[in-house]
Amino acid sequence: MTMEAIAPEVTAAGMTDDIAGIALGRRLKWWLPCFVVALGGLGLLGAAIGWLFYAGVGIWGIDWPVAWGLAIINYVWWIGIASGGTFISAFFFLMRVEWRTALNRIAESMTLFAAACAGIFPILHLGRPWFFYWLFPYPNTMGLWPQFRSPLLWDFFAILAYVVSSVLFWYLGLLPDLASLRDRATSRRQQIAYGALAMGFRGTASQWKHHRAAYGVMAAIMAPLVVSVHSIVGLDFAGAQTTGWHSTQFPPFFVFGAVLSGFASVLFLAIPLRRLLRLEPYITEHHLDVLGKLMLTASLCVAYAYLMDAFSVFYGAHPAEVTMFIERAFGLYAPVYWATILFNILAPQLLWSHRLRLNQPLVMAISLAVIVGMWLERYEIVVTSLHRTNLPSAWGVYHATFWDWATLTGTIALFFAGFLLFVRLLPVLSMFEMRELIGKRRRQP
Amino acid sequence: MIGLIAEFASETALLRAVDRLQADGFVGLDAVTPHAVEALEDRLPGRPSPIPLVILIAAIVGVAGGFGMEVYASTVSYPINIGGRPLNSWPAFVPIAFEIGVLLAILSGFFGFLIVNRLPALYVPASDAPIFANASRDGYLLTIRTGDAVRLRPILDGLDPVRIAEWLP
Repeated sequence: MTMEAIAPEVTAAGMTDDIAGIALGRRLKWWLPCFVVALGGLGLLGAAIGWLFYAGVGIWGIDWPVAWGLAIINYVWWIGIASGGTFISAFFFLMRVEWRTALNRIAESMTLFAAACAGIFPILHLGRPWFFYWLFPYPNTMGLWPQFRSPLLWDFFAILAYVVSSVLFWYLGLLPDLASLRDRATSRRQQIAYGALAMGFRGTASQWKHHRAAYGVMAAIMAPLVVSVHSIVGLDFAGAQTTGWHSTQFPPFFVFGAVLSGFASVLFLAIPLRRLLRLEPYITEHHLDVLGKLMLTASLCVAYAYLMDAFSVFYGAHPAEVTMFIERAFGLYAPVYWATILFNILAPQLLWSHRLRLNQPLVMAISLAVIVGMWLERYEIVVTSLHRTNLPSAWGVYHATFWDWATLTGTIALFFAGFLLFVRLLPVLSMFEMRELIGKRRRQP
Repeated sequence: MIGLIAEFASETALLRAVDRLQADGFVGLDAVTPHAVEALEDRLPGRPSPIPLVILIAAIVGVAGGFGMEVYASTVSYPINIGGRPLNSWPAFVPIAFEIGVLLAILSGFFGFLIVNRLPALYVPASDAPIFANASRDGYLLTIRTGDAVRLRPILDGLDPVRIAEWLP
């Protein structure tokens, strides 16, 4: 069976009308209930942050020795999810693969909101969040500079560059589609809103020339950027002397993990969206098949990292490392460790089968397992390492509190609130790139 | 001087029309298309986009400036002796220099794109002609400014356009 990257009957005009029609007000019965639920969760996030700012980080479960709790776990988890969009939109743009075209907008939008959720946590975690601007190297009367040798400061610069770049790359790709919406809009309000957002893009030859040049070079910059971001997140850990963290494999290990959760999240969003918005002609089974293979590949990379993680502990044979690892695999938090193996390594192995890759409910279940599994992996890395560090006198136990969980739930709601607004108001596919693909297929049948 | 807009159904038809009209000596051609048409870049006048060069310069300035700032802060402005380690510990300065370079590169690419196109331009007189809305759907438009509409019209008709419209350039 050959699978097409786009259904043969799709035309540029029909596709444009269809996708623009969604943003310009096609009735979506499921949208409002979902959005109301997300807004409810957003209220919970507001309450959790408000109480945190009033009462301080003592409302969380963190204490010595486990001073990095859910906030850092959630941060690493969200930024990992965000990677999926950049990988699909930048790497596969440079490779000129056809299946990238229908997925990049959904994936990039996912990146934006996931990165926004990630960016909240380090600031909340600061303890004195109102001093967050001390991370900037700005001229100050104290005569101080930030510590440029610290991976935590590298991380601040990496996230800043990543968030700003992701927004601009996304918006540059969106401009021609906003122009399409402006030209299709019938109500005055929509004409003004989309007209202002499109900023006068009309599709003249010189505008396209500069657009192509800017977009291509920016994609080539985004690709190493996303690798650097996750490498630096890995270095946040590897830079410390903590057991289980101080390892040279952490930068690539974190890139693998980020990619795994990124692809899983794209699948987890694309499968239901495809059905709810009737995108089957554009996001075909070919796309699901390719994403399934990518998720499997990322899972194998992560499996290798887990193996090396265990191997290097016993090869190095440092007593504190061995003690921590045995505690990780068989101690208080052992269920987390084994769930990580089950969800991230074993479950994706089902994707070797072509038939199972096309079984959408199953693929959604595997994606959810991976998303949860990657959260558990960060729980395992952060908590078990800190609770069995080098000195037995400094051992302790960590449990998250209600407010920890409320903040996590709140950011999930923030993600969905943002993503739902995107689905409602903006074109969910890159229409101009789809038109290019359709034109190319017509010339070379 | 008069402006004519011819709409074509495909990229191929548009390129054929451009070639034909240029062979017949018409200048003042421009195209408005639903997606980037790479082959137009060689056919229509204009230099290659300066944006890649702008991005390269911004990236170099960002990396060099960021690195210089880190070296200055660590060796001159705020030196800290940590167990006698070198003040100019340059490998540790690489990640931030890279990130600042990336940030400036992307900012210059995005805003450079707006500046070279003179955007935002919220009102463009040409967009009063309704035919231009087709270019963001599936119409490949060719606009021609000419003083010789009498000669142009039959040539255009022979190039199999979907429709032809007039507008005042």
